[in-house]
Amino acid sequence: MIETLLITWRESLEAALIVGILLTYLGRSGERRGVPYVWGGAGAAVLAALVCAAASNGLVAALDPDVQELAQAGILFLAVAVLTWMVVWMHRNARALRGELHARADRALAAGRLLGLATIAFAAVFREGVETVLFLWGVVLQGAHDGVLALLGAGLAGTALAVATAWVFFRGFRFLKLQTFFRVTGVLLLLVAGGLLTAAVNKLIALDYLPALVSQVWNTSWLVPDDGIVGGVLRAFVGYRARPSLLEVLVFFAYVPTMFWLLHRAGRSVGPAGRDPTLKARAA
Amino acid sequence: MRFQLALAAALLASSVPVARAADLTVALAVRDGGFEPAVVQVPASARVRIEVTNQTPVAIEFESFDLNRERVVQPGQTAAVYVSGLKPGRYQFFDDFHQQRRGTLLVE
Repeated sequence: MIETLLITWRESLEAALIVGILLTYLGRSGERRGVPYVWGGAGAAVLAALVCAAASNGLVAALDPDVQELAQAGILFLAVAVLTWMVVWMHRNARALRGELHARADRALAAGRLLGLATIAFAAVFREGVETVLFLWGVVLQGAHDGVLALLGAGLAGTALAVATAWVFFRGFRFLKLQTFFRVTGVLLLLVAGGLLTAAVNKLIALDYLPALVSQVWNTSWLVPDDGIVGGVLRAFVGYRARPSLLEVLVFFAYVPTMFWLLHRAGRSVGPAGRDPTLKARAA
Repeated sequence: MRFQLALAAALLASSVPVARAADLTVALAVRDGGFEPAVVQVPASARVRIEVTNQTPVAIEFESFDLNRERVVQPGQTAAVYVSGLKPGRYQFFDDFHQQRRGTLLVE
C-alpha cells in the first residue's frame, strides 16, 4: 500500500514540479494568459498517456520496443529544446518587466510561446504519465486479492501527494522578491532541462546507441540513495543518479554551465534598462 | 538546407535498428513468481545485452539503481537493456511495478 503510494509519488513528482514552476512563474509575472495553456498541455498529456496505455496491447505493442524507447528519448530532447528557448525568453522578459510596463510583457507572450508552455507541460506529464498509468492499470488487473480500490486509492494518493509537495515548495517562493524569483526560476528550469537531457542520454546508452564512456564514474548512494526522499526530489530537479555514467556527467556539465554563462553574458549587455534605479522599489 | 538534409538523414539513420554489438546476451524472464533466473552471472567489463521478457499479463518495469537503468516492458514483449564496463560486484535489480520481484547481476 505504502509502496504503491511511494511509486506514484516518485513518478509524478517531476511533472508536478515542472508544472508548478510554470504556473508560479506565470502568476508572479502577471501573465495569466499562459495558465490555461499549461493546464491544457498537462491535461492533453494525461489523455495521451491513458490512450497509449489502453493501446499498449494493440497499436503500441506492434511497434518495436526500442522504437517506443527512442520516441521517449525524442520527447525528452524536444522538452529540453523548448525549455531552453523558454528560459532565454523569460530572461529577456524579466528585463522587460523591470522598469517597463507589464502590458508589454503580456504582448510578449505570443502564440508561439503559449504553445511552448503547453509543450513543456505536455512533455513533463506525458513522460511519467505513461508509466504511472501502466503501473496503476497493472494494479487494477492484478490486485484482485489485495483490494483493487485500496491499492488504486493509494496510487492516486501518491500522485496527489506529489502535487502537494510541489505546491508547498512553490508557496515558499511567494516570499522571494520579484527579481530574485525570476533568477531562481530560471536557474531551476535550466537544471530541470539538464536533468531531462541526461535522462534522454541515459536511454540512448541503455539502447546502446551511445557509449557510456565510463559506466559508473562515482557512487554517492551512501550519501543520497536514489530511492530516498531527497534522492527523489533531486532526481526530479536535476536528474540525480547516484551512479551516473561519464557521458551523462559530461552532457549535464556541458549544458548547464554553458547556458548560465550565455544568459549571464546576455544580461550584462542590457545597458541602462538592466540597472534601472526603480527596480528595487518595484520588486519590493 | 544542407544542414536540414543532413539532420534528416541522421534522424532517419538513428531510427533504423542497427546491429549493435554485445559480448554476450543473457535472457531474463519476468514471471509472476519473480525473475528467472534470479541471479545472472556475467564477466567483468563485458558489454552485456540483457533481454528482459515480460511473461506476465501486465506491464513491468525492469529497474536498477545499481546499474542506473530503467525500462518499461509491456506484457509479452522483450526489451534489450545494455550494460557495459561493470566492475566485479553484485548489482541488484527489481521490477519497479511489483517490488517483491528482485534479482541480482553477479559480475565477476
